Amino acid sequence: MTAPLTLTTGHHPDGRPLLTAHGEIDLTTIAEFGAALATAVGDGRPVVVDLTGVDYLDSGAINALFTHADHLHLIVNPLLMSAMTVSGLTTLVTIEQSTTQA
Amino acid sequence: MAGSDEVVARVTSGVDVFAADAEVGRDLAAVDWAGTPLGPPQGWPQSLRTAVNILLSSRFSMWMAWGPELTFFCNDAYRRDTLGQKYPWALGRPASEVWQEIWQDIGPRIDRVLEIGTATWDEGLLLFLERAGYPEETYHTFSYSPLRDEHGAVVGMLCVVTEDTERVIGERRMATLRDLGSDPSVIRTETQMLEFAGVQLGGNQRDLPFTLTYLFDEAGSPALAASSGVTGPVDAVAGSVEVWLDAAVRAGVTRLVQLDRGAGESLPTGEWPLPPVQAMVVPLRQQGETPLGFMVMALNRYRPLDEAYRAFVELAAGHVAAGVLSARSYQAQRSRADELAALDRAKTTFFSNVSHEFRTPLSLITGPVQQLRAWMSDPDAHPPASVREDVEVIHRNGLRLGKLVNTLLDFSRIEAGRMQARYEPVDLAAVTLELASSFRSAVDQAGLRFDVDCPALPQRVYVDRDMWEKVILNLLSNAVKFTFDGSISIRLTGHEDHVVLEVADTGTGIAETEMPRLFERFHRVEHARSRSTEGSGIGLALVKELVGLHGGSITAVSREHQGTTFTIQVPFGRAHLPAECVVEEPGQDDGGAPGTAESFVQEALRWQPTPELSRPASVDGPADTEHPVAAPLVSGPMAGRVLVADDNADMRGYLARLLRGTGHEVRIVSDGQAALEAIRADPPDVVVSDVMMPRLDGLELIAALRADPRVASVPVLLLSARAGQEASVQGLEAGADDYLVKPFAAADLLARVRANIGLARLRAQHARWRTALVDSLQEGFFLSDADGTLVEINAAFATILGYGPDGLPYPQPYPWWPDPKGDPHAYQLVVEEHARALERGTGEATVPATHRDGHRVWLRSTFSRVEDPVTGEHLVVGTIRDVTAEHYTTRRDAALATLAEHVASADTVSQALAATVIALQRIWSARHVAVASFAAPPTGSGDVGEPDVVRVSDRTEWAELAPAVRDAIRGMCTAPALTPQVELPGCVGISMTHLDGVVAVRIDLGPHRTISPEDQALLSVLAGRLSQSLHRLYELDQQRETALALQHAILGPDALPDGFAVRYQPASRPLQIGGDWYDTVPLSEGRIGVVVGDCVGHGLAAATVMGQLRSACRALLLEHGDPAQALAGLDRFAALLPGARCATVLCAVLDPATGHLVYSSAGHPPPILAHADGTTTTLEGGHGIPLGVRINRPRDLDSVTLPPRATLLLYTDGLVERRRRSLSEGISRAASAVHDAREIPVNALASHLMTSLAPDSGFEDDVAVLIYRQPGPLQVEFPAQASELPPVREAVRDWLTRCDVDPHQATNVLIATGEACANAVEHGHRHHVNGVIRLRATALAHAVRITVIDSGSWKTPDLRATAVGRRGRGIPLMRGLMHQVAIHPTENGTTVEMYARITA
Repeated sequence: MTAPLTLTTGHHPDGRPLLTAHGEIDLTTIAEFGAALATAVGDGRPVVVDLTGVDYLDSGAINALFTHADHLHLIVNPLLMSAMTVSGLTTLVTIEQSTTQA
Repeated sequence: MAGSDEVVARVTSGVDVFAADAEVGRDLAAVDWAGTPLGPPQGWPQSLRTAVNILLSSRFSMWMAWGPELTFFCNDAYRRDTLGQKYPWALGRPASEVWQEIWQDIGPRIDRVLEIGTATWDEGLLLFLERAGYPEETYHTFSYSPLRDEHGAVVGMLCVVTEDTERVIGERRMATLRDLGSDPSVIRTETQMLEFAGVQLGGNQRDLPFTLTYLFDEAGSPALAASSGVTGPVDAVAGSVEVWLDAAVRAGVTRLVQLDRGAGESLPTGEWPLPPVQAMVVPLRQQGETPLGFMVMALNRYRPLDEAYRAFVELAAGHVAAGVLSARSYQAQRSRADELAALDRAKTTFFSNVSHEFRTPLSLITGPVQQLRAWMSDPDAHPPASVREDVEVIHRNGLRLGKLVNTLLDFSRIEAGRMQARYEPVDLAAVTLELASSFRSAVDQAGLRFDVDCPALPQRVYVDRDMWEKVILNLLSNAVKFTFDGSISIRLTGHEDHVVLEVADTGTGIAETEMPRLFERFHRVEHARSRSTEGSGIGLALVKELVGLHGGSITAVSREHQGTTFTIQVPFGRAHLPAECVVEEPGQDDGGAPGTAESFVQEALRWQPTPELSRPASVDGPADTEHPVAAPLVSGPMAGRVLVADDNADMRGYLARLLRGTGHEVRIVSDGQAALEAIRADPPDVVVSDVMMPRLDGLELIAALRADPRVASVPVLLLSARAGQEASVQGLEAGADDYLVKPFAAADLLARVRANIGLARLRAQHARWRTALVDSLQEGFFLSDADGTLVEINAAFATILGYGPDGLPYPQPYPWWPDPKGDPHAYQLVVEEHARALERGTGEATVPATHRDGHRVWLRSTFSRVEDPVTGEHLVVGTIRDVTAEHYTTRRDAALATLAEHVASADTVSQALAATVIALQRIWSARHVAVASFAAPPTGSGDVGEPDVVRVSDRTEWAELAPAVRDAIRGMCTAPALTPQVELPGCVGISMTHLDGVVAVRIDLGPHRTISPEDQALLSVLAGRLSQSLHRLYELDQQRETALALQHAILGPDALPDGFAVRYQPASRPLQIGGDWYDTVPLSEGRIGVVVGDCVGHGLAAATVMGQLRSACRALLLEHGDPAQALAGLDRFAALLPGARCATVLCAVLDPATGHLVYSSAGHPPPILAHADGTTTTLEGGHGIPLGVRINRPRDLDSVTLPPRATLLLYTDGLVERRRRSLSEGISRAASAVHDAREIPVNALASHLMTSLAPDSGFEDDVAVLIYRQPGPLQVEFPAQASELPPVREAVRDWLTRCDVDPHQATNVLIATGEACANAVEHGHRHHVNGVIRLRATALAHAVRITVIDSGSWKTPDLRATAVGRRGRGIPLMRGLMHQVAIHPTENGTTVEMYARITA
């Protein structure tokens, strides 16, 4: 069984590319998420990653986010803020807490 | 839940209806059900399936029957305990066929259950089961309850059964043994004893259908002495004795005999329908000797002859043997007493004869002397003064001897009942006055006042004049003897119906301690002072007897140094006297026999100091030296054996010629030493010795002779050249009997020799008389000098101790004293008693002694210190009596009492053995005592292994005992039971068998003490008693263990649902199980039935009831799924089940998914709910009355939803009840204990609760406890594959929601858990394709614990490398999100434990 995860790409109202994830990121979906992230960042564009719809992610996902830390703007579910803080990601990436929950 | 799904699955899949027990289930499945009325299991109704499932899952012994033929089912416990060889044949057969042999007993009971629908109850019912190949006597306690189908119709029955065979039979045998041993003191003769034993044995004709007791006579021929259980002619049963008796039995070996009589010779059947087929022939053993006889003990054909049965038969025979021995020894004692009485009579006869013999020569002396005195009183006669004096001496002594002889004669007449009394009416005042007057001269001469007051009486008194005279004279004589100044008074007063005579003196008085023995025969009151030491000690005893013959009484009142008053009462009239001795005509009033009064008066007069008594030897008298020797030849009695000692040969020759010339037999020696030796070798009648001699002079010779009791009385006539009174006084003071100064007249010498020979003869006669008297005593008599050396003993003394008069003197320490090395204990006792005796001078003592042949005797010695009237030396005179038998009887009784006292309070075998050690140590003052209990050794093996219980006097352990001691104790186990084994000097052991094995006792008295046969006999008796006590206790122990095992077996489910913790503890003191239980029942839709209950009472009975209630409650919960309905059903059940009424039950149904709890209480204490927020509540709703009190009354129901992380406690009242405390106080104490421990897992919480709430002395009642915390733990097991992770996370998320963890904290926990699982998947996946990961989550009040265990092996256990390399952020993330993370890598996998606090 694979964790539920849907990925959509688009553009943020400010024009930056937008990657929206919905579901859970774990061992079964990390590859898909990593690939989507790499594609979105391409050769170094700033990308907005909207994780509002993600209610679970693991260290694999955090690793992927670290890989592209310089180019990312994150919007995350407040429930995941502890994980972001503990992992130290908040020190490298601009993280915006979403106001609506998934 | 998975559990309940499984149950449902089993019952729907046909043959799986038998799955609850693999083995019995397989055999049940193998039954051809199609051939039974029940048909194939697939078609069975749900009710039958449920019943079979309950039956098979119970570990309590049960069987059931179902359907029209009552088809038989049973479970494993029943198969093991009861069915025996009938398994598996019985399965699926009609019950009436299975139990054909007892159908007449159980059929009607089953019919009743089926027809009426009510349960039956039978306790200890006798059933003959044929489960071991023969009809076997068994006892069962069981209940039949109806089984109903879906429509409520009774279609079968369920039997719950406990087998009581061991208990019933054990109790019966113990009762017989107890009765056999009861009150042996009333048993007197062998016949009575055997009759008693016969009645007791006949009372148990189940174990002993009949018995025959044979005793061997002196020639060893057996004779039938008793029987039991035999109603017809006993000879027909006994048959020929050769059937029973063989050499082995004679040698003391038990044998087993087959009873194969012909059809015509039917044997008694006891309480059974058929005669016995076997009998044991048990020798009646006695200590150290061949058997007394043997017993034929017919055996119960319905019981196997196992160890317990054998032991019972042996013990019963042992009792009979002990009884016969005891009766025989009693008989022996009695005949000994008869012999003593005969001896006493012989002594009386002897006195009587001797007295008569004396009277004849006495009268031939006194008669002529009277004539001589009459002649001398003639004025014409001018006898020399010395002759007159001699005649007076003869006269006085003749009277005195006559008086003594008469007194003895009177006494022996009275004793023999031959006193010829002649009671006649007498003017008592006149007679008494006259007697008193005759004494006046003596009283006057003693310088005393004599008050006589004898006024005339209103009537005559019937008295025997001679006797009355003796009474008065004895009392007056006594008064004079002991009164030195003051007065003596005699007073006679008449009263209404009697006359009182008082004789009072102002004398020395009598010590208070002597008063009780004043009137005893031969008892001489010891006075500080008296006028004479003469006396036979029978005067007052005679007075008492004489007064008694007159129907009167005598009393004495005395105060030391103030005087004594004797008071005699004699009734008026003649009604109290034997008619044939009464005469109405008074005899001649001649003042009685004058001789009697005179003899008393003369004696009293002689006590006064008169010049004659101290006259010196008449050395100054005229010596007829010039007269030639014209002495007549002495012959006959006056010819004596004379020893002459003189250093001058001429003088020796002269003396020899002179003495031989007059008919004496003469030996001559030349000095004192030779004389002493010759005298000791053969004492002569008289010794004539020179004073001046070499080696030993005459005075020294006398001193030596007087110092030697055997020759002290030999008279010595000293011859000396030294003249003058001074020399003669010196000689006489030295102890010479006479003294002659050389030169002496031959006639003078011959006269003095003759006189001394006469004196010696008299002395010898006196001595012989005294010896005869002393030897006639049955008690041992001894006389010891001031140093304690025994100088005289009698024949009885020699018999008692084996040391005769020929060995005299016996100086201290006496040869019969116990050996100070061999028996220091006894020696110490003797030395102490001896010292005390010397100090007191007078008294009694009981001491051990060693007979010359080595055996131990116990002596009771009575002794007094007396003063030698001649030498003034202190002597001790006393008697000894052999009290060995009494001593051992007393000791045995005391020992039995000591043992009983110690062992009686023991509740367990272990306590009893400890008490035994203390008792035995006390009884023997032993150095060391060890008691060990061993399990029965394997048959045929001599190896007893290690003991189960060991108790040692110095509290050492078994392993600390010396190997030799351990071997000795082990060795005892294989020796014959109840037979003492002396292993080393001072060490004795004994063994006794019990239900489970053997108990060995070893007593070490120390190497110097010997084990006497009496010690061994005592140990046998004690061991016999102890063995009985142990039998009782082993049975109790077994019962208790069985009950506890049973309780645990029928308590609670085998597997508890997750999240529950339970405890059961029996009451501590006394350790006792009870009727408390807990239970959980998986119900449909994941719900769980939860039950805690408490039956009334304790012990096996309560446990049995509990098992049935529990089973019933399970069934009802399964059926209804509703607590109130289950309790209502249980009400109906309890009303029919004896002992179940008033049980309290809390019954609940829990939905673990929601925490919803529906419950109903039948009088049970309310459950306690401890909330996460720290508050506690009790669930008081749904309360009703205890079970079975009202039937068909609806039960209330209440419900509550357990809040997340709340803890629920169900319990029985034993947890909270305390003496003198209110129940609500106990409940709050329990509530706060749960509250305090709400942060620990439930299992630990349960332990904490049992410890913290237990009183110091343990729970007084049994306690059952059940704890649950909402939600129950989450437990997931999944393959180590990534694809398994999402559903696992879902389950964790769901569980966290049920724990009411807020979403933020929940996400943190979820991420940390996800990391741990992902980690596990990676390791497990890498190395083990089929790796499994286990996750467990547990809630506490304010925390959750998560454990993730993977079974993968870490090839590179370097955690850091793994962490950095692969999932560098994973572990820090877990640590960051949880409060505690611990990772334990091992060879077999890694365990991750995480803990997160939850803030409310």
